[in-house]
Amino acid sequence: MFETISNFVAAFLTLCIFSFLYKDNPFYKFAEALLVGVSMGYAIPLLFENVFMPYVYTPIFLDHKFIIIIPALIGSLYIFRFTKNLSWLARYPITFSMGIVGMGIPMSLHSSVLVQMRSAMLPLASINITLIFIGTVTILLYFFFSKAHKGIYGKVTNVGIWFMMIGFGASFGYTVMARISLLIGRIQFLLGDWLGLIK
Amino acid sequence: MKKSTLKLLDKMQKVDRRIIYIIVAFSIIIPLLIPFNSKTYVTEPTSNIYQKVDSFAGDDTKAVLMSFTHNASTMPELFPMEVALLRHCFERDIKVLTICWLPAAAPLVDYAINQAKEGYDVQSGVDYCNFGYKPYALRLPIMLGMGDDIAKAVETDSQGRKIENLEIMNNIKNYDDMNIIVDFAGNSSAIQWIMYARAKFGANIAAGITAVMVADNYPYLQTGQLLGMFRGLKGAAEYEKLVDVFAAYESDKFPNGRPFSKEIINDTWVPITRDKVTYEVDGKMIETDADLQYKFKKARIGMNAQSVAHVMIIVFIILGNIGFFLTKKKKKKIV
Repeated sequence: MFETISNFVAAFLTLCIFSFLYKDNPFYKFAEALLVGVSMGYAIPLLFENVFMPYVYTPIFLDHKFIIIIPALIGSLYIFRFTKNLSWLARYPITFSMGIVGMGIPMSLHSSVLVQMRSAMLPLASINITLIFIGTVTILLYFFFSKAHKGIYGKVTNVGIWFMMIGFGASFGYTVMARISLLIGRIQFLLGDWLGLIK
Repeated sequence: MKKSTLKLLDKMQKVDRRIIYIIVAFSIIIPLLIPFNSKTYVTEPTSNIYQKVDSFAGDDTKAVLMSFTHNASTMPELFPMEVALLRHCFERDIKVLTICWLPAAAPLVDYAINQAKEGYDVQSGVDYCNFGYKPYALRLPIMLGMGDDIAKAVETDSQGRKIENLEIMNNIKNYDDMNIIVDFAGNSSAIQWIMYARAKFGANIAAGITAVMVADNYPYLQTGQLLGMFRGLKGAAEYEKLVDVFAAYESDKFPNGRPFSKEIINDTWVPITRDKVTYEVDGKMIETDADLQYKFKKARIGMNAQSVAHVMIIVFIILGNIGFFLTKKKKKKIV
C-alpha cells in the first residue's frame, strides 16, 4: 500500500517536472520548490546525527576530549558570514580549509600532471600513441599566445583546433547519451513501477 | 529542386521543439514497452573491473569497496551498475563494503543492496557491510585513514556497530586488503581516490560515472591510474551481461560461476526478451534454469531505447542540416 502511494506521489511530481517541456507553469514551480525544501529538510537532521553528534557532542560531553572545543569554535565562526560587521571572522575557518587544499597539491601534481606527461612521452609505436603525441603537441602550441598564429605555425595550431573540436564533440555526444539515459530512467519508472506495464 | 520540397525543408527548419520532444519520447517508450534483443559488446574498461573483482572470488582476505558519491538525480545511469556489481559479489562470494558521502546517497545504498541480495544467502556484517553516510567534509581524513586502518578511520557502520567487531573485517585492515575501490559519481570524484588512495597507498581505483563525465576521466584511464571505468548506462549493460555469462553461470563443471574468458564473452549473447537466462552460442540457444529478472537486465533494456533515441537524434541532425544548407542556397540565388 505504502509503495503504491509513494509511486503515485513520485509519478505526479515527475509529470509536474516534465510539464516544463510544454511551458513554465505552477505545477513545475511547485515540484521544484518541494524538491529544494525536502532536500534541506532531509539533510539537516542527517547532518546533525552524523556530524554534530559523533564529531562534536560525543567527544566533548561524553568522552571529555576538551581539545575538540577549539576546532568546534573555529568552525562555528562561519556563522558570522551573515553579519555585516563581523563577517571577517569567517575568514579563519576558510584559512584552515585552504590549508587542506594545499595538502592535496603534491598528490594532484603527481596524478594529473606527472603521470599524464609520462604517458605522453612513449615511443611512437602505434597509431593511438602517435595521435596522442600529435594532439598534445599541437594543442599546447595553440595555447602558446606569444607568437601570432600565422603561416606554418598557424597551420600547426589549426590541427590543434581540430583535435579540440573532436574532443568537444565526444564530450557532447556523451552528454546527449547521459540526458537520454536520465529520461529512460524516468520512463522506466513511469511505465514499470507506476503503471506496471513493464515486468 | 521542386518548390514543394523546399517548402517542406523550410517548414522543418521551423518545427516546434515540442514535436521533437514527443518523437524522442516515443522513440524511448516503444522500445521499453516492446523490448527486442540487441547484442551488447563488452569493452575493456568494463571487463577489467569484472576481472579484478572476480579474482577475489571466495577469498576471505580481500574485499571490494563501493563508494557512493551521488544522489537520486544520476540514479538511472549509476544504479544499474551498482546492482550489477553487488550481484557479482554476492554470486561469487566476494566481501563487499559500501560507503556514501552525500546525505541523499544513504537510502540509495540500502536500496541497491536490498535489490541485489534478494535470493542470495548473505548477511550484513558477514558478507557485506554498509559503512553508511560519512560527511563529505571528512572524505579526505577518512580516505587517508583507511590506508592505515579502516576500523579506526570509519569506526561505525550504518547500524552503529563498531566495525572492528564485525566478522567481515577479519583479515581486512587497509587498502592492501581492500584491493579495488569503485567510486560511483556524477562528477570527477574518482580523481580524489586516485590522488590519495592510489598515489599514496597504491590502491586500485575504478570509476562508475555518468556519460557526461566520461571524457573528463578518460586521461586517467589511458594512463592506467583508473583500472577500469563503467561509462554510463552502456557500462552498466556490459557488466550485467558479464555477470550473466560468467558469475551467474551454473553447470556441473562450474557450479558457482565460471572464469572470465575473452572468447566466451565475444561469442555469447544473452537474449533479454526471455525470462530465463539463455545463452546464444554459435546460433544455438541454451536455456538455463536461472531467472533473468527485470532488475538484472534493466540497463540492457534501457540501452535498446538509447540506441533508438540516438538514431532519431542523428536523423534530426541530418535533416536539419540538409534543410539549413538548401534554404541558404535558395536565399543566395534570390539575392
